[in-house]
Amino acid sequence: MIPWLRGASPRTLFALVTFVPLLLLFGLLLFAPPDGNERAQLWQFVGRFHPLSVHLPIALLILVPVLELAGRTRRFPFLLPAVDFLLGVAVATAIAAAFLGWCLARSGSYSGPLMTQHMWGGLLVASVAWACWYVRAQTAPFGQRAHPVLIIAAAAVVSFTGYRGGQLSQGENHLTEFMPESLAGMLGVGVTGDAPSNSPNGGPNTFYGARIQPLFSSHCVSCHGRSKHKSNLRLDSYEATMRGGSHGVVIKAGEAQKSELLRRVTLPHTDDDFMPADKKRPLSPADVKSLEAWISSGASGTLAIDAIKDLPASSTIQPVAEVTFEEIDPDAVAKQRASLAAAIAQFKNRFPNVLDYQSRASADIVVNAAWKGAKFGDADLAALAPLSERIVAADFSNTAITDKSAGAIAAMKHLRSLRLMHTRISDTTLHSLGSLDKLEVLSIFDTAVTPSGLQELLRLPKLRRVYASDKMMSLASSLPPDLKSKLVF
Amino acid sequence: MKYDIDLASAQHPERRFADLQAQTRRHFLRTLSGGLGSMFLGSMASFPALAASGDRDIDGELRLDLKRDPKSPLAALPPQFAARAKRVIYLHMAGAPSQLELFEYKPELIKLDGQDCPASLLTGKRFAFITGVPKLMGPQYPFHQHGQSGHWISDRLPHLEQHLDELCFIKSMRTDQFNHAPAQLLVQTGNPRLGYPSLGSWVVYGLGTENQNLPGFIVLISGGNTPDGGKQLWGTGFLPSVYQGVQCRSHGEPVLYLDSPKDVTTAKRRTVLDAIDQLNQQHYAEFGNPETVTRIAQYEMSFRMQMDATDAMDIHKEPEGVRTKYGSKIGESSFANNCLVARRLAERGVRFMQLYHWGWDSHGSSAADSLNVGFVKRCQEVDQPIAALLSDLKERGMIEDTLVVWGGEFGRTSMRENRSGQVTKFTGRDHHPGAFTIWMAGGGVKPGMTFGQTDDLGYEIVKDPVEVRDLHATMLYLLGFDHRRLNYSFQGLDQKLTGVKPSRVVAEVLA
Repeated sequence: MIPWLRGASPRTLFALVTFVPLLLLFGLLLFAPPDGNERAQLWQFVGRFHPLSVHLPIALLILVPVLELAGRTRRFPFLLPAVDFLLGVAVATAIAAAFLGWCLARSGSYSGPLMTQHMWGGLLVASVAWACWYVRAQTAPFGQRAHPVLIIAAAAVVSFTGYRGGQLSQGENHLTEFMPESLAGMLGVGVTGDAPSNSPNGGPNTFYGARIQPLFSSHCVSCHGRSKHKSNLRLDSYEATMRGGSHGVVIKAGEAQKSELLRRVTLPHTDDDFMPADKKRPLSPADVKSLEAWISSGASGTLAIDAIKDLPASSTIQPVAEVTFEEIDPDAVAKQRASLAAAIAQFKNRFPNVLDYQSRASADIVVNAAWKGAKFGDADLAALAPLSERIVAADFSNTAITDKSAGAIAAMKHLRSLRLMHTRISDTTLHSLGSLDKLEVLSIFDTAVTPSGLQELLRLPKLRRVYASDKMMSLASSLPPDLKSKLVF
Repeated sequence: MKYDIDLASAQHPERRFADLQAQTRRHFLRTLSGGLGSMFLGSMASFPALAASGDRDIDGELRLDLKRDPKSPLAALPPQFAARAKRVIYLHMAGAPSQLELFEYKPELIKLDGQDCPASLLTGKRFAFITGVPKLMGPQYPFHQHGQSGHWISDRLPHLEQHLDELCFIKSMRTDQFNHAPAQLLVQTGNPRLGYPSLGSWVVYGLGTENQNLPGFIVLISGGNTPDGGKQLWGTGFLPSVYQGVQCRSHGEPVLYLDSPKDVTTAKRRTVLDAIDQLNQQHYAEFGNPETVTRIAQYEMSFRMQMDATDAMDIHKEPEGVRTKYGSKIGESSFANNCLVARRLAERGVRFMQLYHWGWDSHGSSAADSLNVGFVKRCQEVDQPIAALLSDLKERGMIEDTLVVWGGEFGRTSMRENRSGQVTKFTGRDHHPGAFTIWMAGGGVKPGMTFGQTDDLGYEIVKDPVEVRDLHATMLYLLGFDHRRLNYSFQGLDQKLTGVKPSRVVAEVLA
């Protein structure tokens, strides 16, 4: 055979070199088709280049008819000689892409009719492309007539196979989901979704069908569905959900805490095992509650839709609360601070480290003169008057202020926390603080305040806690319980 | 003659030579790239986008502006978001206190006391000292429930019991270090290797401190020894050195050698400082190293500290009754004194106070480190002061914005330690990184709750594990920071306390 090969033309060689892999591929598809199991990591890695590599033959096989047509006009005759070369490239790349596709399908969890059609379609594309290339060079009249037929067939098969491929990766309804209704009506495309099953479980009137299955469909089925089912777990029907996957059952009827599915969705989001994986949208706390309630009630497929009322308030498995951080918009904050910005800057120069903004995201001010001790007095407090509206927290403990500052403190209408411990203030000051209706926390430890001075202040609406010294114990016993609870000793 | 020029003049050849020598290759390369860069920019049209690039980090989010005037490197800055806690008092029990003798009540362990440890607990684990098959050991002290929260506590901490309803326990803390120094480094700096800034340094870097006359980060040690992790536990790593913890003493001079010698008056000291200041300013003018300015600031601060620190740390000034409440005695170096000083410092605007108490490493190899002798003493040493501290903070209302954290660096095993196969009359447990307990109080944590759970033997975590970096993230959150935003650019990475692994703020413990 070797001498014959040496004498053969490049065309013949190419024909052989591409025909043999075609046969091989055919054999692979027949005897080692994708069966829904996952296999070695290397195959999965290699296979993932299929979506990338498949675009070249698609483009070429669509382009070739265009070139053929354009090339027969008077303007672009130079295009015709290129077609042969392009067809050759199309054949080679189609075979390579088909092989990569087989690697992907065989190693990931793919199976089902969509998969099968796409797979054979891909082989067909490669075969028809080969035929196109081969036939084009023929001079016989049969070849001349077969050629356009084959080219059109190639384009058609490519479109069909590509459509199936799109459905596999984007979802079965990826073209019809957003189709305008007029078009959908014309084409007779029905409501998208899986075909209705005949089983009594999971029907639209059951709790499972109405509350649980939609959860799965929107969060889980893209990786645990008909065509792609990681770990062999499908969540697109009641039977499939209860059947479980390659690691066992995921729902234990009646035992929510032992159900793997519930465990996975209630893990911290940074955990490796958290589901949904790959940064897909997590279930909301209400969803998790429904799920837990359904499992605890027996995980039935026929339970009526309204059988579980009043989902439990405190479930044994709490969905994990997460803390979110919001981006600070410096311009918005600067705008809020604008009106008093100059005055505040001036004060910060005069009283460094005493007063500052509450945070970088806020325009409110916090005053802490405690560390200054006796160096901070009534005059200094009075100087803060222009900023009174913005002060939300003030600590004048250990300072030299006296009752003379009562008015200045009362002017801080938005004060939420006030500390006056170890100061010489007395009931006089407390009497004038009755207007601080936003005050939540007050500390008057070690001051000259007596129970009578404190009594009326306890009625402030927002006041939660008053830190007072033991002197106030006598007051505590005479108070009603709701006011008494505000005192802390 | 050319050498008639005054040596002090910049034109003198000696000076000029010295100046030239001072221009190192580094200076050349730095100005070269800057120069080329500015030529490039100059030749382009204006690029407003470029100006913003330095303000945004790798995620495209705005950096926190943590720059300060070098003359006041500890100036207070507002936190990123409204903070729940303004200051932290961290009580670190160096050596790893036994959670099974303090807070973790495991009745199953009592039943299995003395039995051989099942193999499943031993396979694949590395122990510091346990060999062969040790025996399980039940809690050495009786437990009971106390308070409305129903927390279990042993009889070792009768004073702290009164505050049990204010504490927030995390019983599922986890670490991957099983020896003291790396574990302490992990807990204090976020990394088991040396060279990283400590928690207190990050906090003072991000928030500064209010009282500029005292250090922002003060460390007090008791128990007889420095903890195994050494001074790096309060070091600054790659952050500017001004943010390091200052180790103070609660008896005698607050900082060794802070006071001037006997005949050096304040005025004289001031003159000396002014002269040093001038020299440093000259040096700064030549080399432009910001650490020089910081050094100037440090000298100034030590001068101010001479007056204020002595006053802050002087427990004579507290009435007798208060000192008795803490159990502190004048002239001693004790945890009780340290707690009292910490409270005084908190009142005076210090940002981060860290107290180390050494001696909790209850292996059971001698009396001092056994559960039946040494542990008892340690509990007595800390019980009353911690309770008094919490009570004082509560009285003053400071508990609202002071975060108190208590913990060790890992836990202890459910098995009795059988070092070299011997059984002595001293009982002890080996190191156990798998689960340990900490508690927090004050500043924004939910009182009276327990987060996380270990199994019936107190060995593995079964629910809600919390990594050390999660604890750090939570503490930074309470102080008003997104832990990912408080960063410092070093070695090409925006370094953070919580490191590069993802961490989460433990939202469940937030009030």
